[in-house]
Amino acid sequence: MTDDLLKAATRALQEENADDGGDGRFTRARVMASLHQGKVKRRTRLAFILPIAACLAAGTAWGAATGRLPAMFHAISEAVSYRSKPPAPKPSAAGTAPSQKPAQVAEDVPPPPALAETPPPAPETKPGIARAEPSSSAPKPTPALSSSAAFQDADGDLYRLAHEAHFDAHDYGRALVGWDAYLKAAPNGRFATEARYNRAICLLRLGRDAEARQALEPFASGKMGYRQTEARQLLDELSR
Amino acid sequence: MTSGGLVLSPTAPLDEASQDEQDLVARLVAADAAAVGEVYDQHHRAVRAFASRLVGDASAAEDLVHEVFVSLPRAMRGYRFESSLRTFLISIAVNHARHHVRAATRRRAALSRLAFEPEGSTTDPEQVQRRKELASLLTKALDTLPLEQRVTFVLCEVEERTSREVSEITGVPEGTVRTRLHHAKKKLREELSQEGIG
Repeated sequence: MTDDLLKAATRALQEENADDGGDGRFTRARVMASLHQGKVKRRTRLAFILPIAACLAAGTAWGAATGRLPAMFHAISEAVSYRSKPPAPKPSAAGTAPSQKPAQVAEDVPPPPALAETPPPAPETKPGIARAEPSSSAPKPTPALSSSAAFQDADGDLYRLAHEAHFDAHDYGRALVGWDAYLKAAPNGRFATEARYNRAICLLRLGRDAEARQALEPFASGKMGYRQTEARQLLDELSR
Repeated sequence: MTSGGLVLSPTAPLDEASQDEQDLVARLVAADAAAVGEVYDQHHRAVRAFASRLVGDASAAEDLVHEVFVSLPRAMRGYRFESSLRTFLISIAVNHARHHVRAATRRRAALSRLAFEPEGSTTDPEQVQRRKELASLLTKALDTLPLEQRVTFVLCEVEERTSREVSEITGVPEGTVRTRLHHAKKKLREELSQEGIG
């Protein structure tokens, strides 16, 4: 009997996880983003390390050839010990201008550039949720500066895919996977706040209320500085 | 290449690799993203199916698939055309599975403690529901196995691979594969009967 059950369970596991027809685009985009990020890191590392190594090697060779190597080491060790001494306290500059606060970036995140003209339609099932969807009247974000435009493209693709699934296809299961993929690739990305909020909406749409509540709480408490009123309304709806 | 006791050492050389395949491998070794994309398009379904069956969690499976393809350029340095690319990818998945299996097991344990399993769709037919339950039951039973036995069971029984293939993927002799499978099945039967089913 247990043998039969084991066979049945094995068959069930086989069928349950057979190809589900999903095309894995989110993971593909994530893989591409990671590969690109890795390449950028390697290049940056090389760009810093190679010149330093070259200078060091050339300096050492020059010092060895001219017999100034011991003097160079002495000078370097002195410089290092001088640098490691605690700096003398500076007199406090009264009236000094406070450090500039970085400009707020992506206060509200709109659809990706390609979709900017097609604002997300208002959802139709739950009235409470409908108010929470991002609208086209939201202020446009300040474009963030990045050292790698291509990487922006990669996570932008993820954002666009998730956005399409959410607002065009209304496939909230796929959209949830998309927002998760985007947040994994760019947890502090330009659109991370919006993606987190949209993720919460997907959870609501999928009837995963407890998870949705958890995801909305930071917004409702004002921690995220985004959609606080809507998030509160949604939580109220959920607790009814 | 080893990881957690699982060894990647395919033993059956392919007769010959086509020029295209050699070019693709050369591009992969050079970390050409387009080449990784090509391989992804060809093999992601097989890798994803294996990952889902092994870890029993869609999200963890996606993470594993991601890791397999991101680590592919580095792993390809050890590829000698001794097995098919798909087998090689499964080997990479096996070598990276430990962390993901552990994470998925922890998540399942936490969810069952909190009795907070995501609800299934109420529109599903009864058969589908039963299948889901059985699959979930087996996944939980698989959580009790050591990784080597779990991998062997999934490859042999769920993926229906020959013991020779499994031997290639896991890098252990066929006899060891059969022993691991025997122990895995024995343990799984015990687990299922402890659940009071069977």
